[in-house]
Amino acid sequence: MDFTLTEQQEFFKKVIGDTVDRMVVPKAQEIDEKDEFPWELWREFTALGYLGLRYPEEIGGMNADKIMCMTFYEEIARGSVGFAQSVIMNILMGTYFLYRFGSDSIKERCLYPAMRGEKIATMCFTEDQSGSDLGATRTTAVKDGNGWRINGTKMWITNGPICDFCTVLATTDPSKGLKGLNFFLVEKGTPGFSSGQVLNKLGCRGTVTGELVFDNVWIPDENFLGDELGKGVMYVGDILDEVRLMTGAMALGIAKGAYNEALEFAKKRVAFGKPIGNYQLIREKFADMDTLMNAARLMIYYGAWMVEEGMDSRLIAAEAKMFATEVCLKVVDEGTRIYGANAFAYEYTPQRYFRDARFLLYGGGTHEVLKDFIGRNIIGKL
Amino acid sequence: MNILVFIKQVADPEARILIKSDNKSLEIENKFNLNFFDEFAVEEAIRLKGKIKETKITVCTYGGKKAIEALRTAIAMGADQAYLIDNTDLDTEDPLITAKILAGFAKKEGFDLILCGRQAIDDENGNIGVMVAEFLKIPHVSAITKLDVVDEKKMLVENDIEGGRETKEVMLPALFTTQKGINEPRVPLITGVMKAMKANIPVIDPTTLGLAKEVIDKNASKIRIISYETPKGRPPVRVIEGETPEEKVKKLIQLLREEAKVL
Repeated sequence: MDFTLTEQQEFFKKVIGDTVDRMVVPKAQEIDEKDEFPWELWREFTALGYLGLRYPEEIGGMNADKIMCMTFYEEIARGSVGFAQSVIMNILMGTYFLYRFGSDSIKERCLYPAMRGEKIATMCFTEDQSGSDLGATRTTAVKDGNGWRINGTKMWITNGPICDFCTVLATTDPSKGLKGLNFFLVEKGTPGFSSGQVLNKLGCRGTVTGELVFDNVWIPDENFLGDELGKGVMYVGDILDEVRLMTGAMALGIAKGAYNEALEFAKKRVAFGKPIGNYQLIREKFADMDTLMNAARLMIYYGAWMVEEGMDSRLIAAEAKMFATEVCLKVVDEGTRIYGANAFAYEYTPQRYFRDARFLLYGGGTHEVLKDFIGRNIIGKL
Repeated sequence: MNILVFIKQVADPEARILIKSDNKSLEIENKFNLNFFDEFAVEEAIRLKGKIKETKITVCTYGGKKAIEALRTAIAMGADQAYLIDNTDLDTEDPLITAKILAGFAKKEGFDLILCGRQAIDDENGNIGVMVAEFLKIPHVSAITKLDVVDEKKMLVENDIEGGRETKEVMLPALFTTQKGINEPRVPLITGVMKAMKANIPVIDPTTLGLAKEVIDKNASKIRIISYETPKGRPPVRVIEGETPEEKVKKLIQLLREEAKVL
């Protein structure tokens, strides 16, 4: 058993941490306040090449292992989770199906430009009445000549209103429930494809999240992303653990950001003649926060290692997502307590972490759904 | 053109540093960076490579195994190769020894130009570059803020002097130390990061650099650290109260005269 990162992994963590400190951290507060997509930062950051993180070097990627991916997700979320969400959408969910099933032409047209940051990708699961409950998906794809006709509305789509293409989950046969679900590529400019309401969110501001409308959208057969019909949910299963671990890593990133600022504050803020870090009740908070964050990181790395090794990681991924997010909620809360009343002012950062943390409760599976899933798997059918 | 860049890995300015109980050594949190001023040297070397054909950038440090990380950072930025001169079990406190070792490496490796930061931000000695140039018997200019190529044998450098700026023409081979303002060090591209991660960084035993044993021996240092002390805590900030800016300024001037006695 060896818990050390390799020299290469350590180096990567250091480089991405420095890059985030230099490029993202100074803009985080402004991104949150403006709540507009940070195009300039997007161009500068994506020019570095990180959007190809998971993909092979032959196609311009980095072929990073899963531990490195987790360090990346954590670090960029530490900088700005609003920005991180958009970046990670292009890296992971938004391009996964194109890489796996896309034709050469689709890869040339969408995947490679998305890896370079020239196109913005997204993935559409959620609808107004369904999120974790994929079986309730109402968007339909009906065979029409040499292609498919898609109708429906998707909600809570990260990058949705500004995306250049999206991978859409739709049912080709509502009577089959989960076994009727499939994925399709829809590109910007396709007649009938438009963006609707843009959500005004509590946190993760800077990411443009909203509604996508598919009104009789026709796409060619080439845009069906899969080997055969009815396997969409199975494909989701192939990436779900990584997505959940990624969500946990983002939660850890927010926690770390809040923790770092609280630590600085505790060293400098003087009360009753000495820095508040001298008081035991403040020290206790740091002891608890550090313990929890270390535990969460170990779970995430363990899950990432299992995914890398091709092991069954379903439970640990769900547990790590849930635990890291709950840890994050605890840490951002403690951060506000350490800051005192200043945390209640928009000009200071603790309120941003406090708001941002909430979103991770829902993305990647609500904890109510995850707990039921974990418990059901442990107890089994009685 | 062969460019050598000497770098140092230093503690991150935000790293936790504690004085050990013997008062003679430090316990430094595991947060290290490529020295702030050396980043300018690496960046300038990369820019020169863009101007002069067939330029090779070699980065080198005298440090522990951990310093490989700083060497990788330089490769990620665009250096071609890197060497670690391993200082394990050797003296690290006497800059004279470090300079002799680096000069020994430069002689062995060969060079047209040497760049390094004007000083390390940990010990603030600021003398390695100067001493290396002296040992190599080559010209040097300290703290340059501009570097232009005249031709492959000649460079034009600028440095700040009291009240102005000085421009010098310098024949190569030469050594320049870099100052803030000369350039804006780049953020590494992922292609550079990947190259750096895969790079084989040879570790050199300093005893193979042709230096006399007594020069690099463990007890060769002519400098001994007697003790470390933490800086005295600063007095608390005083807020000057007043109804109007004029009143506040009056009070400030009064305090500067009567209490601080600086006016």
